[in-house]
Amino acid sequence: MTDAAPDSHYTLERPEEAVDPQSIYRDLRDNTPVVQLSGRSTTGTLTISRHEDVMTALRTPELFSSDSSAVQIGNTRPLVPLQVDPPHHSKHRKALDPLFAPKQMVKYEPRVRELIRELIDEVADNGHCNFHDDIAEPLPSTIFVELLGLPVSRVDEFLALKDGIIRPPARSLEERYEMVKATGQKIYAVLEEVVEARMAERQDDFLSTIIDAKVDGQPLSRDDVVDIGYLFFLAGLDTVSASLDCIVAYLAQNPDHRQRVADDPAIIPHAIEELLRYESPVPIVPRITTADTEMSGCPIAEGSRITVLLGSANTDERVWDNPHLVDFDRESNKHLGFGGGVHRCLGSHLARMELRVALEEWHDRVPDYRLADGLELRYSPGIRQVDNLELVW
Amino acid sequence: MRIRVDTELCQGHGRCYMLAPDLFEADDDGYSQPTAERPVPSELADQARRAFMNCPEDAVILTEETS
Repeated sequence: MTDAAPDSHYTLERPEEAVDPQSIYRDLRDNTPVVQLSGRSTTGTLTISRHEDVMTALRTPELFSSDSSAVQIGNTRPLVPLQVDPPHHSKHRKALDPLFAPKQMVKYEPRVRELIRELIDEVADNGHCNFHDDIAEPLPSTIFVELLGLPVSRVDEFLALKDGIIRPPARSLEERYEMVKATGQKIYAVLEEVVEARMAERQDDFLSTIIDAKVDGQPLSRDDVVDIGYLFFLAGLDTVSASLDCIVAYLAQNPDHRQRVADDPAIIPHAIEELLRYESPVPIVPRITTADTEMSGCPIAEGSRITVLLGSANTDERVWDNPHLVDFDRESNKHLGFGGGVHRCLGSHLARMELRVALEEWHDRVPDYRLADGLELRYSPGIRQVDNLELVW
Repeated sequence: MRIRVDTELCQGHGRCYMLAPDLFEADDDGYSQPTAERPVPSELADQARRAFMNCPEDAVILTEETS
Protein backbone atom coordinates (compact mmCIF):
# COMPACT_ATOMS: atom_id res chain seq x y z
CA MET A 1 0.00 0.00 0.00
CA THR A 2 1.45 3.31 -1.03
CA ASP A 3 0.32 6.89 -0.53
CA ALA A 4 0.91 9.91 -2.75
CA ALA A 5 3.79 12.20 -1.78
CA PRO A 6 2.74 14.75 0.84
CA ASP A 7 3.38 18.49 0.57
CA SER A 8 5.89 20.26 2.79
CA HIS A 9 6.14 23.81 4.09
CA TYR A 10 9.86 23.73 3.37
CA THR A 11 11.07 25.23 0.08
CA LEU A 12 14.88 24.85 0.33
CA GLU A 13 14.85 28.15 -1.59
CA ARG A 14 14.69 30.63 1.29
CA PRO A 15 17.96 32.14 2.55
CA GLU A 16 17.00 31.42 6.18
CA GLU A 17 16.68 27.72 5.31
CA ALA A 18 20.11 27.68 3.65
CA VAL A 19 21.98 28.61 6.86
CA ASP A 20 21.17 25.30 8.59
CA PRO A 21 19.85 22.89 5.97
CA GLN A 22 20.94 19.84 8.01
CA SER A 23 18.01 20.18 10.42
CA ILE A 24 15.56 20.42 7.51
CA TYR A 25 17.14 17.39 5.84
CA ARG A 26 16.68 15.43 9.07
CA ASP A 27 13.01 16.35 9.34
CA LEU A 28 12.46 15.37 5.69
CA ARG A 29 14.27 12.03 6.09
CA ASP A 30 12.38 11.12 9.25
CA ASN A 31 8.90 12.26 8.31
CA THR A 32 8.52 12.85 4.57
CA PRO A 33 11.27 10.98 2.66
CA VAL A 34 9.47 11.61 -0.65
CA VAL A 35 7.87 15.04 -0.59
CA GLN A 36 6.68 17.91 -2.72
CA LEU A 37 8.29 21.10 -1.40
CA SER A 38 6.64 24.52 -1.66
CA GLY A 39 8.32 27.30 -3.57
CA ARG A 40 8.51 28.94 -6.92
CA SER A 41 10.85 26.57 -8.72
CA THR A 42 10.12 23.28 -6.99
CA THR A 43 6.41 23.01 -7.77
CA GLY A 44 5.67 19.59 -9.23
CA THR A 45 9.05 18.25 -8.16
CA LEU A 46 9.50 15.42 -5.69
CA THR A 47 12.39 15.65 -3.26
CA ILE A 48 14.10 12.52 -1.96
CA SER A 49 16.30 12.66 1.13
CA ARG A 50 17.23 9.20 2.46
CA HIS A 51 20.66 7.83 1.62
CA GLU A 52 19.20 4.59 0.27
CA ASP A 53 16.83 6.40 -2.10
CA VAL A 54 19.52 8.87 -3.17
CA MET A 55 21.88 6.00 -4.02
CA THR A 56 19.14 4.25 -6.01
CA ALA A 57 18.51 7.42 -8.04
CA LEU A 58 22.23 7.95 -8.73
CA ARG A 59 22.83 4.32 -9.63
CA THR A 60 19.80 3.70 -11.83
CA PRO A 61 20.22 6.20 -14.69
CA GLU A 62 17.86 4.20 -16.92
CA LEU A 63 15.03 4.99 -14.48
CA PHE A 64 16.29 8.28 -13.01
CA SER A 65 17.42 10.11 -16.12
CA SER A 66 19.72 13.12 -16.04
CA ASP A 67 18.53 14.37 -19.43
CA SER A 68 17.95 18.03 -20.11
CA SER A 69 14.26 17.99 -19.19
CA ALA A 70 15.28 17.42 -15.55
CA VAL A 71 16.28 21.04 -14.98
CA GLN A 72 16.08 24.49 -16.58
CA ILE A 73 19.48 26.14 -16.81
CA GLY A 74 19.13 28.14 -20.00
CA ASN A 75 20.45 25.61 -22.46
CA THR A 76 18.50 24.72 -25.60
CA ARG A 77 20.47 21.52 -26.25
CA PRO A 78 21.54 18.90 -23.68
CA LEU A 79 24.71 19.68 -21.75
CA VAL A 80 27.38 17.10 -22.57
CA PRO A 81 27.97 14.73 -20.80
CA LEU A 82 25.81 15.65 -17.76
CA GLN A 83 22.45 15.62 -19.54
CA VAL A 84 23.20 12.59 -21.68
CA ASP A 85 22.20 9.16 -20.37
CA PRO A 86 24.05 5.89 -20.93
CA PRO A 87 25.09 4.45 -23.36
CA HIS A 88 25.91 7.73 -25.18
CA HIS A 89 27.08 9.28 -21.92
CA SER A 90 29.95 6.87 -21.42
CA LYS A 91 31.49 7.65 -24.83
CA HIS A 92 31.64 11.37 -24.19
CA ARG A 93 32.69 10.88 -20.60
CA LYS A 94 35.53 8.61 -21.71
CA ALA A 95 36.80 11.39 -23.98
CA LEU A 96 36.68 13.97 -21.17
CA ASP A 97 37.88 11.97 -18.15
CA PRO A 98 41.60 12.24 -19.07
CA LEU A 99 41.40 16.06 -19.10
CA PHE A 100 40.43 16.07 -15.41
CA ALA A 101 42.40 13.05 -14.17
CA PRO A 102 44.64 13.44 -11.10
CA LYS A 103 47.77 13.11 -13.28
CA GLN A 104 46.74 16.23 -15.20
CA MET A 105 45.91 18.16 -12.05
CA VAL A 106 49.52 17.82 -10.85
CA LYS A 107 50.53 20.00 -13.82
CA TYR A 108 48.13 22.81 -12.89
CA GLU A 109 48.98 22.90 -9.19
CA PRO A 110 51.90 25.40 -9.47
CA ARG A 111 49.67 27.92 -11.28
CA VAL A 112 46.93 27.52 -8.64
CA ARG A 113 49.51 28.08 -5.91
CA GLU A 114 50.91 31.16 -7.66
CA LEU A 115 47.45 32.70 -8.07
CA ILE A 116 46.26 32.03 -4.51
CA ARG A 117 49.49 33.59 -3.18
CA GLU A 118 48.85 36.72 -5.24
CA LEU A 119 45.28 36.93 -3.93
CA ILE A 120 46.40 36.45 -0.31
CA ASP A 121 49.14 39.09 -0.77
CA GLU A 122 46.40 41.61 -1.51
CA VAL A 123 44.68 41.13 1.86
CA ALA A 124 47.09 39.50 4.35
CA ASP A 125 48.30 42.75 5.93
CA ASN A 126 44.84 44.31 6.14
CA GLY A 127 43.60 42.26 9.09
CA HIS A 128 40.27 41.67 7.37
CA CYS A 129 38.72 40.67 4.04
CA ASN A 130 35.60 39.43 2.39
CA PHE A 131 36.83 35.89 1.77
CA HIS A 132 34.21 35.21 -0.90
CA ASP A 133 34.94 38.32 -2.97
CA ASP A 134 38.70 38.42 -2.44
CA ILE A 135 39.65 34.71 -2.55
CA ALA A 136 36.91 32.13 -3.08
CA GLU A 137 35.42 33.66 -6.20
CA PRO A 138 38.50 34.88 -8.13
CA LEU A 139 40.67 31.79 -7.56
CA PRO A 140 38.61 29.03 -9.19
CA SER A 141 37.04 31.26 -11.83
CA THR A 142 40.39 32.58 -13.03
CA ILE A 143 41.88 29.09 -13.09
CA PHE A 144 38.93 27.67 -14.95
CA VAL A 145 38.76 30.44 -17.54
CA GLU A 146 42.48 29.93 -18.18
CA LEU A 147 42.14 26.14 -18.46
CA LEU A 148 39.10 26.25 -20.70
CA GLY A 149 40.65 28.88 -22.96
CA LEU A 150 38.21 31.76 -22.47
CA PRO A 151 39.65 35.30 -22.37
CA VAL A 152 40.67 36.02 -18.75
CA SER A 153 40.05 39.76 -19.24
CA ARG A 154 36.32 38.99 -19.43
CA VAL A 155 36.07 36.90 -16.24
CA ASP A 156 33.73 39.38 -14.49
CA GLU A 157 31.34 39.23 -17.43
CA PHE A 158 31.37 35.42 -17.27
CA LEU A 159 30.70 35.42 -13.53
CA ALA A 160 27.68 37.67 -14.08
CA LEU A 161 26.37 35.31 -16.77
CA LYS A 162 26.88 32.30 -14.49
CA ASP A 163 24.96 34.03 -11.69
CA GLY A 164 22.22 34.88 -14.19
CA ILE A 165 21.62 31.14 -14.55
CA ILE A 166 22.23 29.93 -11.01
CA ARG A 167 20.82 32.86 -9.01
CA PRO A 168 18.53 34.94 -11.28
CA PRO A 169 16.83 37.78 -9.33
CA ALA A 170 13.40 36.58 -10.47
CA ARG A 171 10.12 37.05 -8.59
CA SER A 172 8.12 34.41 -10.45
CA LEU A 173 8.64 31.11 -12.23
CA GLU A 174 7.85 32.75 -15.58
CA GLU A 175 10.28 35.59 -14.98
CA ARG A 176 12.95 33.11 -13.91
CA TYR A 177 12.43 31.07 -17.08
CA GLU A 178 12.74 34.16 -19.32
CA MET A 179 15.83 35.48 -17.49
CA VAL A 180 17.60 32.14 -17.57
CA LYS A 181 16.78 31.62 -21.25
CA ALA A 182 18.10 35.07 -22.20
CA THR A 183 21.30 34.53 -20.22
CA GLY A 184 21.72 31.11 -21.80
CA GLN A 185 21.71 32.70 -25.26
CA LYS A 186 24.54 35.03 -24.19
CA ILE A 187 26.58 32.08 -22.90
CA TYR A 188 26.07 30.25 -26.20
CA ALA A 189 27.26 33.38 -28.05
CA VAL A 190 30.45 33.64 -25.98
CA LEU A 191 31.24 29.95 -26.43
CA GLU A 192 30.46 29.91 -30.14
CA GLU A 193 32.81 32.83 -30.69
CA VAL A 194 35.70 31.17 -28.82
CA VAL A 195 35.07 27.69 -30.28
CA GLU A 196 35.10 29.16 -33.83
CA ALA A 197 38.42 30.84 -33.08
CA ARG A 198 39.93 27.60 -31.68
CA MET A 199 38.67 25.57 -34.63
CA ALA A 200 40.58 27.95 -36.87
CA GLU A 201 43.66 27.94 -34.64
CA ARG A 202 44.30 25.62 -31.67
CA GLN A 203 45.86 26.81 -28.42
CA ASP A 204 47.06 25.01 -25.29
CA ASP A 205 43.66 24.82 -23.60
CA PHE A 206 40.74 22.45 -22.91
CA LEU A 207 38.58 23.71 -25.78
CA SER A 208 41.36 22.95 -28.27
CA THR A 209 41.84 19.48 -26.76
CA ILE A 210 38.10 18.81 -26.91
CA ILE A 211 37.94 19.95 -30.54
CA ASP A 212 40.56 17.31 -31.37
CA ALA A 213 38.93 14.58 -29.23
CA LYS A 214 37.32 11.58 -30.94
CA VAL A 215 34.10 9.83 -29.95
CA ASP A 216 33.56 6.52 -31.79
CA GLY A 217 36.49 7.53 -33.99
CA GLN A 218 34.73 10.70 -35.12
CA PRO A 219 35.56 14.29 -34.14
CA LEU A 220 32.93 16.13 -32.11
CA SER A 221 30.65 18.57 -33.89
CA ARG A 222 30.96 22.29 -33.20
CA ASP A 223 27.68 22.08 -31.25
CA ASP A 224 29.03 19.21 -29.13
CA VAL A 225 32.09 21.30 -28.20
CA VAL A 226 29.87 24.26 -27.31
CA ASP A 227 27.56 22.02 -25.23
CA ILE A 228 30.52 20.65 -23.26
CA GLY A 229 31.74 24.22 -22.79
CA TYR A 230 28.32 25.32 -21.48
CA LEU A 231 28.42 22.67 -18.77
CA PHE A 232 32.00 23.57 -17.84
CA PHE A 233 31.05 27.24 -17.74
CA LEU A 234 28.35 26.69 -15.11
CA ALA A 235 30.14 23.98 -13.14
CA GLY A 236 33.60 25.54 -13.20
CA LEU A 237 32.59 29.06 -12.23
CA ASP A 238 30.52 28.30 -9.15
CA THR A 239 31.02 25.05 -7.29
CA VAL A 240 34.61 25.40 -6.06
CA SER A 241 33.89 28.96 -4.89
CA ALA A 242 30.91 27.75 -2.88
CA SER A 243 32.94 24.87 -1.45
CA LEU A 244 35.73 27.21 -0.33
CA ASP A 245 33.13 29.53 1.21
CA CYS A 246 31.47 26.70 3.14
CA ILE A 247 34.75 25.22 4.38
CA VAL A 248 36.29 28.52 5.52
CA ALA A 249 32.99 29.68 7.06
CA TYR A 250 32.92 26.47 9.11
CA LEU A 251 36.56 26.81 10.21
CA ALA A 252 36.10 30.49 11.12
CA GLN A 253 33.33 29.46 13.52
CA ASN A 254 35.07 26.37 14.95
CA PRO A 255 38.45 27.41 16.37
CA ASP A 256 39.56 23.89 17.36
CA HIS A 257 39.10 22.59 13.84
CA ARG A 258 40.72 25.71 12.39
CA GLN A 259 43.71 25.36 14.70
CA ARG A 260 44.18 21.74 13.72
CA VAL A 261 44.26 22.68 10.01
CA ALA A 262 46.72 25.50 10.73
CA ASP A 263 48.99 23.25 12.84
CA ASP A 264 48.92 20.18 10.61
CA PRO A 265 48.56 20.78 6.85
CA ALA A 266 48.60 16.99 6.31
CA ILE A 267 45.06 16.87 7.72
CA ILE A 268 43.76 19.24 5.02
CA PRO A 269 42.72 16.55 2.48
CA HIS A 270 40.73 14.79 5.22
CA ALA A 271 39.22 18.07 6.43
CA ILE A 272 38.09 18.79 2.86
CA GLU A 273 36.35 15.40 2.50
CA GLU A 274 34.66 15.73 5.89
CA LEU A 275 33.44 19.27 5.26
CA LEU A 276 32.27 18.36 1.75
CA ARG A 277 30.21 15.70 3.53
CA TYR A 278 28.87 17.85 6.32
CA GLU A 279 28.38 21.12 4.43
CA SER A 280 27.49 19.59 1.04
CA PRO A 281 28.15 22.83 -0.90
CA VAL A 282 26.39 21.32 -3.93
CA PRO A 283 23.46 19.76 -2.06
CA ILE A 284 21.15 18.88 -4.94
CA VAL A 285 21.21 17.12 -8.30
CA PRO A 286 18.12 16.88 -10.53
CA ARG A 287 16.73 13.78 -12.22
CA ILE A 288 13.55 12.87 -14.11
CA THR A 289 11.85 9.46 -14.02
CA THR A 290 11.43 7.43 -17.21
CA ALA A 291 8.79 5.06 -15.78
CA ASP A 292 6.45 4.68 -12.81
CA THR A 293 8.36 3.65 -9.71
CA GLU A 294 8.25 3.79 -5.91
CA MET A 295 10.52 4.98 -3.14
CA SER A 296 10.16 4.66 0.65
CA GLY A 297 6.61 3.42 0.10
CA CYS A 298 5.58 6.38 -2.06
CA PRO A 299 4.54 6.03 -5.71
CA ILE A 300 6.43 8.15 -8.22
CA ALA A 301 4.93 8.62 -11.68
CA GLU A 302 6.82 8.50 -14.96
CA GLY A 303 8.04 11.97 -15.93
CA SER A 304 8.37 13.22 -12.35
CA ARG A 305 11.14 15.72 -11.73
CA ILE A 306 13.20 14.54 -8.78
CA THR A 307 15.34 16.69 -6.51
CA VAL A 308 18.02 14.33 -5.19
CA LEU A 309 19.24 15.68 -1.85
CA LEU A 310 22.92 14.71 -1.71
CA GLY A 311 23.28 16.90 1.36
CA SER A 312 20.71 14.88 3.23
CA ALA A 313 22.21 11.53 2.19
CA ASN A 314 25.51 12.84 3.60
CA THR A 315 24.01 13.22 7.09
CA ASP A 316 21.52 10.32 7.16
CA GLU A 317 21.54 8.68 10.60
CA ARG A 318 20.51 5.41 8.91
CA VAL A 319 24.00 4.96 7.42
CA TRP A 320 26.39 7.32 9.25
CA ASP A 321 27.86 7.10 12.73
CA ASN A 322 27.48 10.49 14.42
CA PRO A 323 26.55 12.28 11.17
CA HIS A 324 26.29 15.68 12.88
CA LEU A 325 29.78 15.46 14.32
CA VAL A 326 32.49 17.01 12.13
CA ASP A 327 35.42 14.63 12.57
CA PHE A 328 38.51 14.99 10.38
CA ASP A 329 39.60 11.50 11.57
CA ARG A 330 36.33 9.84 10.52
CA GLU A 331 37.17 6.22 9.75
CA SER A 332 34.48 5.70 7.12
CA ASN A 333 33.46 8.57 4.85
CA LYS A 334 31.54 7.49 1.75
CA HIS A 335 30.24 11.00 1.13
CA LEU A 336 28.33 11.97 -1.99
CA GLY A 337 29.63 15.54 -2.11
CA PHE A 338 30.62 14.95 -5.73
CA GLY A 339 27.47 13.00 -6.49
CA GLY A 340 27.75 9.36 -7.48
CA GLY A 341 27.03 6.86 -10.20
CA VAL A 342 27.92 7.52 -13.83
CA HIS A 343 27.60 11.32 -13.46
CA ARG A 344 30.10 11.62 -10.58
CA CYS A 345 31.48 15.17 -10.78
CA LEU A 346 33.87 15.27 -13.73
CA GLY A 347 35.84 18.10 -12.13
CA SER A 348 36.18 16.53 -8.68
CA HIS A 349 39.95 16.03 -8.91
CA LEU A 350 40.44 19.64 -10.02
CA ALA A 351 38.17 20.82 -7.20
CA ARG A 352 40.07 18.82 -4.58
CA MET A 353 43.42 20.15 -5.76
CA GLU A 354 42.22 23.77 -5.75
CA LEU A 355 40.63 23.42 -2.31
CA ARG A 356 43.76 21.78 -0.85
CA VAL A 357 46.19 24.34 -2.27
CA ALA A 358 43.96 27.25 -1.24
CA LEU A 359 43.61 25.96 2.34
CA GLU A 360 47.34 25.21 2.62
CA GLU A 361 48.36 28.68 1.48
CA TRP A 362 45.65 30.54 3.41
CA HIS A 363 46.45 28.86 6.73
CA ASP A 364 50.16 29.33 6.17
CA ARG A 365 49.66 33.10 5.91
CA VAL A 366 46.51 33.67 7.97
CA PRO A 367 46.30 30.85 10.52
CA ASP A 368 44.20 32.66 13.12
CA TYR A 369 40.99 34.25 11.85
CA ARG A 370 37.33 34.50 12.80
CA LEU A 371 34.07 35.97 11.54
CA ALA A 372 33.68 39.75 11.82
CA ASP A 373 31.82 40.76 15.00
CA GLY A 374 28.05 40.44 14.78
CA LEU A 375 28.15 38.86 11.32
CA GLU A 376 25.24 36.66 10.28
CA LEU A 377 26.36 34.57 7.36
CA ARG A 378 24.24 34.59 4.21
CA TYR A 379 24.20 31.19 2.48
CA SER A 380 22.60 31.06 -0.95
CA PRO A 381 19.92 28.44 -1.50
CA GLY A 382 20.87 25.78 -4.06
CA ILE A 383 24.63 25.87 -4.51
CA ARG A 384 25.76 27.23 -1.16
CA GLN A 385 27.95 30.26 -1.63
CA VAL A 386 28.47 32.66 1.31
CA ASP A 387 28.79 36.10 -0.26
CA ASN A 388 29.21 38.07 3.00
CA LEU A 389 32.05 35.97 4.43
CA GLU A 390 33.75 38.84 6.27
CA LEU A 391 36.79 37.59 8.17
CA VAL A 392 39.05 39.40 10.66
CA TRP A 393 42.48 38.41 12.04
CA MET B 1 42.86 -10.67 3.24
CA ARG B 2 42.19 -10.16 -0.50
CA ILE B 3 41.11 -7.03 -2.33
CA ARG B 4 39.69 -6.10 -5.72
CA VAL B 5 37.75 -3.31 -7.44
CA ASP B 6 34.38 -3.95 -9.04
CA THR B 7 34.86 -2.08 -12.32
CA GLU B 8 31.10 -1.97 -12.91
CA LEU B 9 30.66 0.06 -9.72
CA CYS B 10 33.85 2.17 -9.73
CA GLN B 11 33.11 5.76 -10.85
CA GLY B 12 36.53 7.28 -10.28
CA HIS B 13 35.89 9.11 -6.99
CA GLY B 14 39.54 8.42 -6.15
CA ARG B 15 39.08 7.80 -2.44
CA CYS B 16 40.94 4.46 -2.56
CA TYR B 17 44.13 5.74 -4.15
CA MET B 18 44.04 8.76 -1.84
CA LEU B 19 43.75 6.64 1.31
CA ALA B 20 45.56 3.47 0.18
CA PRO B 21 48.34 4.75 -2.08
CA ASP B 22 50.38 1.55 -1.66
CA LEU B 23 47.51 -0.56 -2.97
CA PHE B 24 45.91 1.61 -5.67
CA GLU B 25 46.80 4.33 -8.13
CA ALA B 26 44.87 6.45 -10.60
CA ASP B 27 44.86 5.36 -14.22
CA ASP B 28 45.04 7.95 -17.02
CA ASP B 29 41.29 8.57 -16.72
CA GLY B 30 41.29 8.93 -12.92
CA TYR B 31 39.83 5.49 -12.20
CA SER B 32 41.36 3.04 -9.75
CA GLN B 33 43.94 0.45 -10.76
CA PRO B 34 44.82 -2.38 -10.39
CA THR B 35 41.35 -3.90 -10.17
CA ALA B 36 42.01 -7.68 -10.19
CA GLU B 37 41.66 -9.60 -6.94
CA ARG B 38 44.95 -10.05 -5.11
CA PRO B 39 46.24 -10.80 -1.61
CA VAL B 40 46.91 -7.83 0.70
CA PRO B 41 50.31 -7.89 2.43
CA SER B 42 49.73 -7.77 6.19
CA GLU B 43 51.49 -4.41 6.54
CA LEU B 44 48.93 -2.89 4.15
CA ALA B 45 45.85 -4.28 5.90
CA ASP B 46 44.98 -0.89 7.42
CA GLN B 47 45.16 0.83 4.03
CA ALA B 48 42.98 -1.90 2.55
CA ARG B 49 40.33 -1.40 5.24
CA ARG B 50 40.36 2.38 4.74
CA ALA B 51 39.89 2.00 0.98
CA PHE B 52 37.01 -0.41 1.63
CA MET B 53 35.37 1.89 4.21
CA ASN B 54 35.58 5.07 2.13
CA CYS B 55 34.40 4.10 -1.35
CA PRO B 56 31.11 5.94 -2.00
CA GLU B 57 30.15 3.34 -4.59
CA ASP B 58 31.07 0.27 -2.47
CA ALA B 59 33.29 -0.77 -5.37
CA VAL B 60 36.25 -1.87 -3.24
CA ILE B 61 35.67 -5.52 -2.35
CA LEU B 62 37.56 -6.84 0.66
CA THR B 63 37.57 -10.50 1.63
CA GLU B 64 38.85 -11.47 5.05
CA GLU B 65 40.28 -14.98 4.98
CA THR B 66 39.01 -17.06 7.84
CA SER B 67 41.62 -19.85 7.74
